[in-house]
Amino acid sequence: MKVVVAFAILAAILPLFVPEAYLYTIGLAYLFAVIAISWDLMVGYTGQVNLGHTTFVGLGAYIAALLQVPERMGMSFEVSPVIAILIAGVAAALVGFFIGIITLRLRGYYFALVTAILPLVFMQTVFIWRDVLGGEEGFSIGSENAIALSVIGKYYAALLILLVSLAIMLAIVNSRIGLRFKAVRDSEELAESLGIDTTKYKVLAFVISSFFAGIAGAAIVHYRITVSPELYDVPLMLLVILSAVIGGIGTIIGPLFGAIVIYLAKNWWLRELIATASLPINDEIVLYALLIAVGIALPRGIYAEVAARIYKLQR
Amino acid sequence: MIEILRIVIFGAVVSGIWALVASGFSLIFGVSRMLNFAHGTAFVCSAYLAIYLANQGIHIALAITAGLLLSALLGVIVYMLTRPIRRNEIMVVIVTLALALLIQQVLLLSFGDRGMSLPPLIGGLQNIAGVKVTNIRIASFVFAILTIAVLEFLINRTMFGKRILATSQDSEAAMLIGINVERVYLSTIILSSLLAGIAGLLYAQIFAVTPEISLKALIYAFAIVILGGLGSVRGSIVASFIVGYVLVTTITFFGARWSEFVMLLTIIAILIVKPTGLFGVEE
Repeated sequence: MKVVVAFAILAAILPLFVPEAYLYTIGLAYLFAVIAISWDLMVGYTGQVNLGHTTFVGLGAYIAALLQVPERMGMSFEVSPVIAILIAGVAAALVGFFIGIITLRLRGYYFALVTAILPLVFMQTVFIWRDVLGGEEGFSIGSENAIALSVIGKYYAALLILLVSLAIMLAIVNSRIGLRFKAVRDSEELAESLGIDTTKYKVLAFVISSFFAGIAGAAIVHYRITVSPELYDVPLMLLVILSAVIGGIGTIIGPLFGAIVIYLAKNWWLRELIATASLPINDEIVLYALLIAVGIALPRGIYAEVAARIYKLQR
Repeated sequence: MIEILRIVIFGAVVSGIWALVASGFSLIFGVSRMLNFAHGTAFVCSAYLAIYLANQGIHIALAITAGLLLSALLGVIVYMLTRPIRRNEIMVVIVTLALALLIQQVLLLSFGDRGMSLPPLIGGLQNIAGVKVTNIRIASFVFAILTIAVLEFLINRTMFGKRILATSQDSEAAMLIGINVERVYLSTIILSSLLAGIAGLLYAQIFAVTPEISLKALIYAFAIVILGGLGSVRGSIVASFIVGYVLVTTITFFGARWSEFVMLLTIIAILIVKPTGLFGVEE
């Protein structure tokens, strides 16, 4: 709890010290963090591997974008950004509910297989309905529909969305519901024998997780004023997984910091680092290699593994 | 009429190739309960190495052998990487998926995203009731069926297969009666990567390969193993023909872009109607 308060205070006074050009990217990192912690709520707490989290990010993004530019669907109405973001979250949650109901009553393997396919399938919708969804270039929602007009305003809006989402998800995992999620993760048979309806809790976790993914996707669209298919894509999924694994799965706080660090690293210095070292590789290769290394050597995340080793040394 | 005959013939060719991919994927899962997301990597890597060597002027047969060796080597790499984390299902999935994407990026950087194909081992074509079919398509179908028959023989009729079956039924009991379970894991991963490698080499002689195929191959493999039942090799062979025909019909009538969509719908329909698949192992 102390960590979250310290983070909130630090983030709130950050604009006093950091120039606007950096604030813009940091704000995006906050929204990216919402994606990572909502992934962790499902994977880290119920133990079901969701490889299609970006499907819900993309769904939220495209739904919100279409609500802002309904002319693309041949309709005409006006929605405020906040309402659009909420509708996008609910829509993503509904799709999550539908997929969850079908796959989560089965063993975990099926869930991993089906969710792995989702981003590739939904990616195709963008090309099939190119006129409406804009193909690989996406489309702009118009700067008048932005979440805030100034960069500072956008930064605080992103921070607010992150803090509210974080508070809700932390409250959920620390409640009795969160305990049941963990019971399902540690042993489904045991949880069932205690009278826990495991399918119900797995679906519930998935719906909550999809809801926040949709919110984050819609918020990113209102932040950048454009929507494009990379929000659906597999590389974004892997970036989310990398953030959560480095931070430590099943901790919420770990993925929060993991996400901010990884996002900023990827956007600020990783590419320059590779360019200066003149390596014949791109930044994605570095991130995937890092993910493999961390996954094998430090599967509990950097913080937990290091803490555990220091503890061992002290004894 | 011609259209239907074309679907029947092309569907059989495509199904034979996907049967190889899916039965390998199913084999590893059945033995070690491991979802190998890097399975499609063996498929593309063997094809790309063979194409590269063939373009350098090396004899096709030699290039194909090199491709097969590379796919076996990838099996060993996957085994080594997942060995320390095999009990952690989440990490196995994440690490193998990351490996698949890493290799996909390496291929993209070295070969670009344009499709490439391998000059076929056999040239010429046959006229089957008005439909022109290249000899390599017929040969690859026959070869795929033969490979599957050998696989069936290996699993059901040899000591090696008995060890695989024992390990897949109960790895601890297998250990107790003196089976080296680790060696079984390693050899099944190599075997399954070889199957994917063979499939990749056949595919590259008929169609063009791109680095993205490694993930697409996985979609079809998933649809097939879910329909056939996770862990059942025989089920995945039957299912690959069903999925193969669904695929070819979709592509013929609606276009290739709908294929992923139809695969997802197929999977969801199976999961609603009969989640254990056609020959699924009850858990």
